[in-house]
Amino acid sequence: MSRVFAVFKRELVHYFRSPIAYGIAFALLFFLGVLFNAYITQAVSQYPADSTYIPGLMTFLLFLVAPLLTMRLLAEENREGTLEVLMTLPMRDWEFITGKFLACWGFYTVLLGVTLIYHVILTDIGIPDLGAAFGAYLGAWLYGGAVLAITTIWSAITEDQIVAAFLGAATVLVLYLAEIAAVWVATQPGMSGAADFIRELGLQAHYNATLAQGIVRAEDVVYFIFLMVGALFVTTRIVETRRWRS
Amino acid sequence: MIEVRNLTKRYGGFTAVDNISFEAHPGQVTGFLGPNGAGKTTTMRMLTGFMPPTSGTALVAGFDVFEQSMEVRRHIGYLLENVPLYRDMTPRGYLNYLAEIRGLPNRRQAVDAALERVGMSDRAGSQIRYLSKGMRQRVGVAQAILHNPDVLILDEPTIGLDPRQVLELRALVRDLGRDHTVLFSTHILSEAEQVCDNVVIINNGQIVAQGSPTHLRAELERGGRVLVRVAGPAEAALAAVQAAPNVASAELALDGIVATPTSPEIDPRPDIARVIVQGGWNLVELRPLAINLEEIFLELTRQEELETATPEAPDTLPESEAA
Repeated sequence: MSRVFAVFKRELVHYFRSPIAYGIAFALLFFLGVLFNAYITQAVSQYPADSTYIPGLMTFLLFLVAPLLTMRLLAEENREGTLEVLMTLPMRDWEFITGKFLACWGFYTVLLGVTLIYHVILTDIGIPDLGAAFGAYLGAWLYGGAVLAITTIWSAITEDQIVAAFLGAATVLVLYLAEIAAVWVATQPGMSGAADFIRELGLQAHYNATLAQGIVRAEDVVYFIFLMVGALFVTTRIVETRRWRS
Repeated sequence: MIEVRNLTKRYGGFTAVDNISFEAHPGQVTGFLGPNGAGKTTTMRMLTGFMPPTSGTALVAGFDVFEQSMEVRRHIGYLLENVPLYRDMTPRGYLNYLAEIRGLPNRRQAVDAALERVGMSDRAGSQIRYLSKGMRQRVGVAQAILHNPDVLILDEPTIGLDPRQVLELRALVRDLGRDHTVLFSTHILSEAEQVCDNVVIINNGQIVAQGSPTHLRAELERGGRVLVRVAGPAEAALAAVQAAPNVASAELALDGIVATPTSPEIDPRPDIARVIVQGGWNLVELRPLAINLEEIFLELTRQEELETATPEAPDTLPESEAA
């Protein structure tokens, strides 16, 4: 565990030293700020203060943010050759992969944490539903972890960061849009079972109707954790194959 | 201590390392010598636990590289060929990171000692991206000796250094060889001769010779073989040399004729010189074979070529083209 922590620490420090990470953080927070501003000017007169707006937006923007945050995690090490150093240290492959993932998730957690300021602003204006806010933020946090873990797979597969980012974004978008696919499948005769199945595979089905409303269901939490563990397992296996072919 | 037994590595149909066996002992620098692509790096990668062997075993510090990979990695220091480092870290930061992963008890002390040993204490706080190639190489060596491993594996550590840095690094390797088992790969033969107590020569994935440089030299000089270079038709000169008194046999090799005397005590050179001159050819060179590793190496790798390509053996010696 101390080895996971050592890798976690170095990678997290790397995010805070990296201009790219600051660029991503700036773009994301700026965008959220502008949208929040537009939202709040309407919200004041039309609907009650709702703290789930920002985390909901965050889950959508993750299709862009997550690939950019994870693209270098393994691709860079692979290209620079430092991966071989890591792989010949007395450390299991899953340990440094987990450390790297946790650092990335940690950076995302900081970003998400910064957006809590909007909740504070809303409490000043109205009385936002605390339960819904808690669920939405917990959901956005788990959702982010799952998406980051999935995009890390691409970073392990290719040593080209741009390719990793692009394929990562495509994968996340597919998982995000599973709901729309399910709606179409449901219109086909005798396919309602398949439609439900496709819908349950997607990310939104486990966030929008439940966590974002403050409903914390075990199955949704398990879904996100399963995605994380599964994606990290796949990543570890992909990194391991380098031992056999490089 | 490194013990390699029948180690083989295949990639698909290609055999990178073919059934090699050798040993490297504590307190010695073992040179791992071969041309580029001979299988040196592949062998080292198997020893360091980066990749598993296809067949065969290797013990490093008494642990099996496949079965006890973690133990092996704890006892090994590995300098990779291109010395990959994190460019955004300082040497001290990097070593500290590795010390943490390795779980060393006295991190600060270990890092200071490693930096001191490679003479990098004064630049320990600069970012690695600003360091010269030679300094990065030293950080790489510091990284390998950080945990004071029993076994050091250095993959072509002198590549890309300027002559002065090469000398410094060789001195460092010799120094490390006194209290570690060092396996040191290079394709520069004079380097192996200067630095190593023992040499393993590998070509096309197979070991073609091993022993101390002096032993290897004696091995090939034994028999009193001489190298003859003649400006003139090769076949005719070869026939003349073969017919010369005191010459048991002669063959085309090493861009010349290698002649073996009837007995090791006899120096066949006067007789060979006489028949060449009598034949009316110009004698370009005549000397005992295997003066240095360079020639041993050329000889060993050449022999294989000759064996595989006998039908197309050249009619004339390369030198004769100029005549």
